[in-house]
Amino acid sequence: MSNSEKLGSESGYHKDIDSALEDSFLRRTLDTFAVAYRANREAIFKEVDERGLIRQIADAKDDACRHMEELYTQFRAEAEKRGVIVHRAATAADANEIIARIARENNVKYVIKSKSMTAEEIHLNTRLEADGLVVDETDLGEWIIQLRHEGPSHMVMPAIHLSRQQVADDFAKATGDPQDTDVQRLVKVARVQLRRKYLRADMGVSGCNFAVAENGSVSTVTNEGNAEMVTTLPRVHVVLAGLDKLVPTLDVALTALQVLPRNATAQRLTSYVTFMDGAGDCAASPTGKKIMHVVFLDNGRTEIAKDPIFSQIFRCVRCGACANVCPVFRLVGGHRMGYVYIGAIGLILTYFYHGQDKARILSQNCIGCEACKNVCAGGIDLPRLIREIRARLVEKNGAGLPMSLLSSVMKNRKMFHNLIKFASFAQRPFTGTGRDNVSYLRHLPAIFLGKHQYKALPAIAAESFRDRWARIKPVLREPRMRIALFSGCAQDFIFPDQLEAFVKLMTALNVDVDFPLNQTCCGLPLDVMGQRATAIEVAQQNVDAFAHKKYDAIVTLCASCASHIRNVYPEILENSPYRHQAETLVQSIQPFSAFLHDTLGVTAEDFNQSGESVTFHAPCHLCRGCGVTDAPRELIAQAANYVPCEEEDVCCGFGGSYSMKFPEVAAQLLENKLKNVQATGASRLVTDCPGCVLQIRGGAEKKGLPVRVSHIVELMAENVRSRN
Amino acid sequence: MAPVNQELVDLFIARAEAVAAQVQRLPNMAAALQYAVDVCARKAPCELLADEDVEKGPDGPNKVPTRVQKILAAPDLPDADFAALAEACAAQGFACRRDGLRNHLAGIDVGLTTARLGVAASGTCLTVGDNEDTRLAGMISETHILILRASEIYPDLPSIAGQLRDRMAERPGSYTVFITGPSRTADIERVSAVGVHGPLELHIVLLEDAHV
Ligand code: SF4
Ligand code: SF4
Repeated sequence: MSNSEKLGSESGYHKDIDSALEDSFLRRTLDTFAVAYRANREAIFKEVDERGLIRQIADAKDDACRHMEELYTQFRAEAEKRGVIVHRAATAADANEIIARIARENNVKYVIKSKSMTAEEIHLNTRLEADGLVVDETDLGEWIIQLRHEGPSHMVMPAIHLSRQQVADDFAKATGDPQDTDVQRLVKVARVQLRRKYLRADMGVSGCNFAVAENGSVSTVTNEGNAEMVTTLPRVHVVLAGLDKLVPTLDVALTALQVLPRNATAQRLTSYVTFMDGAGDCAASPTGKKIMHVVFLDNGRTEIAKDPIFSQIFRCVRCGACANVCPVFRLVGGHRMGYVYIGAIGLILTYFYHGQDKARILSQNCIGCEACKNVCAGGIDLPRLIREIRARLVEKNGAGLPMSLLSSVMKNRKMFHNLIKFASFAQRPFTGTGRDNVSYLRHLPAIFLGKHQYKALPAIAAESFRDRWARIKPVLREPRMRIALFSGCAQDFIFPDQLEAFVKLMTALNVDVDFPLNQTCCGLPLDVMGQRATAIEVAQQNVDAFAHKKYDAIVTLCASCASHIRNVYPEILENSPYRHQAETLVQSIQPFSAFLHDTLGVTAEDFNQSGESVTFHAPCHLCRGCGVTDAPRELIAQAANYVPCEEEDVCCGFGGSYSMKFPEVAAQLLENKLKNVQATGASRLVTDCPGCVLQIRGGAEKKGLPVRVSHIVELMAENVRSRN
Repeated sequence: MAPVNQELVDLFIARAEAVAAQVQRLPNMAAALQYAVDVCARKAPCELLADEDVEKGPDGPNKVPTRVQKILAAPDLPDADFAALAEACAAQGFACRRDGLRNHLAGIDVGLTTARLGVAASGTCLTVGDNEDTRLAGMISETHILILRASEIYPDLPSIAGQLRDRMAERPGSYTVFITGPSRTADIERVSAVGVHGPLELHIVLLEDAHV
């Protein structure tokens, strides 16, 4: 089945994911890569001001995007002055026609290409081959996948999914000689084979990393040096560039070059960066001058440039980092994490360049861990844009009956909460007690669980936190602070004990807690499913619930709620009458560990040292969503012996509804997490999000691992020394 | 002539060596030319990656024939330097070329060209390839030797924006390449390998004497 067909059907896509998960070579490769990339990237960025440079790139590219037409006009004038013919193609088909025509008019038989994602975008090879042209890729990875008739599985390393054995087999077929599997030797096979192809070519097609308007130059960035060969040897040179590659000045290109190679392959600079400014000398051409064309591709770009939210995708420099750090990519590989473009940006570009049909399922395959956003060279808010695409798809096509039903229930807080109470009652025959007296869904017939059996599912609590509140609300005479609690659904209904621990801890620290009862679901699960209208509705209810009293802080023990309220409310309420009212909630909300550590400023004096060895899982929405990294680790050390864990901040696979949609991927993420946790030898793991507790505890329970999993609030509450 | 900034030179060397460039500090042009001839003498004869009507030696490591007469190309040297180089090559029996490299696209032994400036932060050389032969010398040679004045090393990419701009404006149809180490790839199982298309080795001769 072709990649494009697979993306069209739910079952085909899942089958494909299953086979990727079973591909032990792919898994090993991507695992090693993910770990190595992370360390190498970190080291190579130490020398520069990473955040500053990313900001500079974002600003410069945003500015270029706003002035795309002017830059195009300027580029064209400058390039024409220097003997270059500039074209503009409205669609992929137009671009293909233009390039085919250039080939025809110049009597071209052999075309040689250096890597161009834009050429992949328009499937240029297929079009040129239809005219009887022989097209050869020269980037080693691209050549390999061309021999196999495959698409790239990564934007920078197109053949990362293949083993040396597979490459040796392909080369044996291509050369007619048996090949051994030594990589150095295989690389030289390409050296020998491709040199002849350069020599016979009459037309070179290259991509373009920067089209510099100030002097009409184009720039390519490669390690192999193939772009230099492709743009030098044949008499005709065609540059294919997306309109988004236009930058005003050389300075912008040089700034981006400080980040692009670092982010792509953890290099300070690639081996070759070339600036071609006009049609230069070419002895192979009858005139002695290169016949040089630059084809700018629109294919929807001018429309995207006008989009207030999506225009930021033009900050992309195609470094591939958003795939490199993506936990889903790491498990399923690029062919399942994109169509032509791969990784987080791939999910988005597929929607724009290759249509809804291919993007519908793809856009679901993001767990929302924000790892990509954290490293993007252009500072693009990739997870937000992926959610935005889901919202647009739902808006256009509807969401199916179950989703719409859920949505209408969620709009009505009372109905939603009553429904949960009913569920708590209805599940009773199926629950059982696990270790630490935690209640799990035990007796559900396996048929209901299917692919979800990888973890024990917790039961809904017999009594929710909101029902306990009137009974347990403490009264403090002279509290040092008055705060409100935002509970989130998971803790209110599944883990009310965590909230009780919080109340106990706060009381011990002399902090008054209020719990406004009109609060409801924060709306994150709705927003990730594309249910934008309902997400806005519940956000407004929450804003209202917290608007009636003044608090010193609003605290939540759910990092996902904190991140959603803090980061997403301002976005989705932008056009709502609640926009201003929302500011208090948005600015006051704090995740638990940040509140305890930074705002209350607790120290080791406040806790008994339990001596227990405790490791940590950093929830995506805590470390990246809220930027809280040190606080929880320091808190653990105040009450116990903190044992660091490998890949502490890699997603555990919960991702809310994601683990329902892609249980096979979620299960693997959990598996990796548990492996790392086990390796620490710690007897306990704490984290600062109920979703992660649910996921990791469920996995540990299922496997019978000797690790207690709890919310960090429980550790702190167990060991607090009372101030009262 | 700008003074040599020792700190930048040291950083440049460290960063260039980190990407497998071989850096050589030499006092003057005469020494640089001698170095190029020595490198050419030491290296195994160049493999012929395509057909060329030339005397062929035994197969090289990649099972293609090798050149019998080695070729050293130095298209952008000043006349006097080229004459001196040609003489030294003749003494060794090497062909010394200043142009016509399209006749040797199957591969040459050594390409000797000059770098405009160096960028310390990444160990990069900025090279001018407007002349096709100069460009080819850096692409089709098995060993590329770049000559760089130690006084022409700058801190980082942003610091040379103005010079890049002026250089590109020298003529319409300019071709400028930043070179950082030899041609490399990691496309098969992410194993690093050099020389997939271009030079297998990159040498940088740092000239202490600024009068090139
Ligand atoms: S948010 Fe996480 S899962 Fe989603 S695309 Fe980015 S890295 Fe991948
Ligand atoms: S979206 Fe960002 S991280 Fe992904 S390829 Fe583009 S620039 Fe790189």
